[in-house]
Amino acid sequence: MQSLTSQIITNSLGQVGLTVLALVAGVVLIELLVYLAAGKIFHAKNALVYMLLAPAVIGLALLIVYPIVLELRLAFSNMSLRRFKNPDYGLAQGLDNFKLIFTEPVLKQVMFFPVFLRTILWTGIQVVFHVTLGLGLALLLNRKLLLKGLYKVLLVIPWAIPQVIACLTWRGEFHFEYGFVNILLKAVGIPGVQWKSDPFWNFVAMNITNIWLGVPFMMVICLGALQSIAKEYYEAAKMDGATGWRKLRSISLPLMAPILTPAVILGVIWTFNNFNVPYFINENHLETSDILVTALFRAAFEYNRYGFSAAFAIVIFLILFIFSAFYIRFTGALKSVRG
Amino acid sequence: MKKLLFVFLILASVAPLVMAEVTAKDLAAVGPTSILFWTKEGEADQALQFVKLETDLFSRLYPNITFEVANKDVEVLRQDFQTASLAGSAPDLLWTVNDHTGPFTTADIIQPVDTLFNLKKYVDAALAAVTLKGKVWGIPISNGNHLMLLYNKSLIKKPPATTTELLALAGKMPAGTYPLVYNQTEPFWLVPWLGGFKGTVFAKDGITPTLNTKPMVDTLKFLKSLKDRKIVPTESDYNGADTLFKEGKAAMIINGDWSLGAYKDALKDDLGVARIPKVAASGAWPAPYTSGAFFMLPKDLSGDKLTAVRGFIQFVTGREMQVEMVAKLSRLPGLKDALSDELITSDPILKGSSDQMVVGTPMPTVIEMRANWDAMKPEMAAVLSGTKTAEAAAADMQKAAVAAIKSLQ
Repeated sequence: MQSLTSQIITNSLGQVGLTVLALVAGVVLIELLVYLAAGKIFHAKNALVYMLLAPAVIGLALLIVYPIVLELRLAFSNMSLRRFKNPDYGLAQGLDNFKLIFTEPVLKQVMFFPVFLRTILWTGIQVVFHVTLGLGLALLLNRKLLLKGLYKVLLVIPWAIPQVIACLTWRGEFHFEYGFVNILLKAVGIPGVQWKSDPFWNFVAMNITNIWLGVPFMMVICLGALQSIAKEYYEAAKMDGATGWRKLRSISLPLMAPILTPAVILGVIWTFNNFNVPYFINENHLETSDILVTALFRAAFEYNRYGFSAAFAIVIFLILFIFSAFYIRFTGALKSVRG
Repeated sequence: MKKLLFVFLILASVAPLVMAEVTAKDLAAVGPTSILFWTKEGEADQALQFVKLETDLFSRLYPNITFEVANKDVEVLRQDFQTASLAGSAPDLLWTVNDHTGPFTTADIIQPVDTLFNLKKYVDAALAAVTLKGKVWGIPISNGNHLMLLYNKSLIKKPPATTTELLALAGKMPAGTYPLVYNQTEPFWLVPWLGGFKGTVFAKDGITPTLNTKPMVDTLKFLKSLKDRKIVPTESDYNGADTLFKEGKAAMIINGDWSLGAYKDALKDDLGVARIPKVAASGAWPAPYTSGAFFMLPKDLSGDKLTAVRGFIQFVTGREMQVEMVAKLSRLPGLKDALSDELITSDPILKGSSDQMVVGTPMPTVIEMRANWDAMKPEMAAVLSGTKTAEAAAADMQKAAVAAIKSLQ
């Protein structure tokens, strides 16, 4: 591998710097134009507001709205390798795609519902462990503790590492011959596990990796929530003779709910849509380890079923949308926001 | 009139040859051009370094032409090239394998090279590997890309000639050393044995999959038996197998000609090359797929970039660089003229490589082969992990291949 020379650093900074400059110049230009148009031409009252919002609105339109519109269009097409540049678009193609999702294998053999159920299982396991372990660690840290700062730093490290790097590292550690997991197991007399080729153990490996990655976030949320609870509640409970468990159940958890609920919703959505961990840990492309988003990716880019995959993406979006709407309504989590 | 016609016919026959070659003058006239070049060659095999050497040498000759070289794994290269082509930002040059011809021509994202180069100077078998629908879609860089048996002479004096001898090696190696390693995750390592059991992945028509067959069942059972008898590790991917062999923890490896350079550096005179052992049950030699590495050109490449790329390809596939490639990477050249070089005729490693290639079989380039690869991979993994029987796996891979081909229509 080429070593990092000053020439490479200079070239890279130059390329990045130019891009940043171009972006800044673009933003300034857009704001200027919007302010002039809104203020001088249309004489709008809130020209300053429009000016400040414009770059974000344009960015969202280009990076989110436009791709979604393209995606919708693609979902109603029969784009594949044979129809790469000139696919047919229409309602018939779209309905065909949506029908195929539920009636034919989404990959080589696996059907939609087993993958869907596996995704729910994966999400459920992850959220339970994230919340339980995160809350547990937060409770331990929410007290006078020697070297508390050091523990916090160490526990947050998994969150700080770029996720792809962490996944690739864990994948290496699940290697049968050279991974530290099997080395440790063999050291205590347990035969090595086929983490990459056995369907069950590969799923376990994915879960271990994502628990390691996800606990710090939940720990930080829980710790913040705990620290926002007034100490008087606990003092009053102590005077009434409440046990630790009673304080947790009757004070901590109810008062943490407004903060925990959105965090859990986010956790569910992020885990449901988590691509990196299932994709990279499943190095042997076992269909038994695929969740909906990885199956979608493979259908699109390994099996070239572009129109089908676009429709598949819309199905996944609708599942999450229905879940979020139902959860928010059922828990009344945003009642206080609505006032 | 007849004289004019005669002259015209002579010119017309010579013109393709004359037009096919780009000259130094053409290249000197090219304006400042940067070529985005994707290659499947990796650093571990020393091949990426050689690719960069070639681009550097060419840029020194023609300073107006520079290269941005990126290495991508074979499957990633295929996916990324398709995606980039769709987005209108395809690279300018590919160095890849022949079975990409099928998907790339189906998607109409590469261009034929018949009229761009003098094809007569390349090895016919190599050109055949990238010929589809009557056109040639790539220029051969190396010829072969086939699997063979590589062995460490310090661990095994004489490699097994048959599968019976191979299986008899169980328990005979020093502790912590495997008799054999190979990439257990890719069906590319399965197909030689399928050939040894006299099976093929396609029927005679070349597009109907024939995976649910007795030879496939026998092949899967054989691969499982290698694992059960601890001839091979319980689990091993490409990097794992490669590392075990380089570190002297495996006596033999089944790997491709792309790895010869790195193994020569690691094992020096202890490296031996032989044919993959004959299948005792059938009496047939395993038949690894043969093809090579090829340059492919994106469909929309034109103007100065096309001239620059053509010049570079001529440079890399010229005799001097081809012989250099043989010396550095131990790969058989795609250029006919280079085959007679003493470097090849006197090198026992290359001799062994050629000997294996002789019993190989050309890799199918049709797009239906993609369906076969995708069907075989998970079933091979299932049999090796003990979660499926060979019979069930063969039946399932046939179903999967048929379904995949249907979805390609």
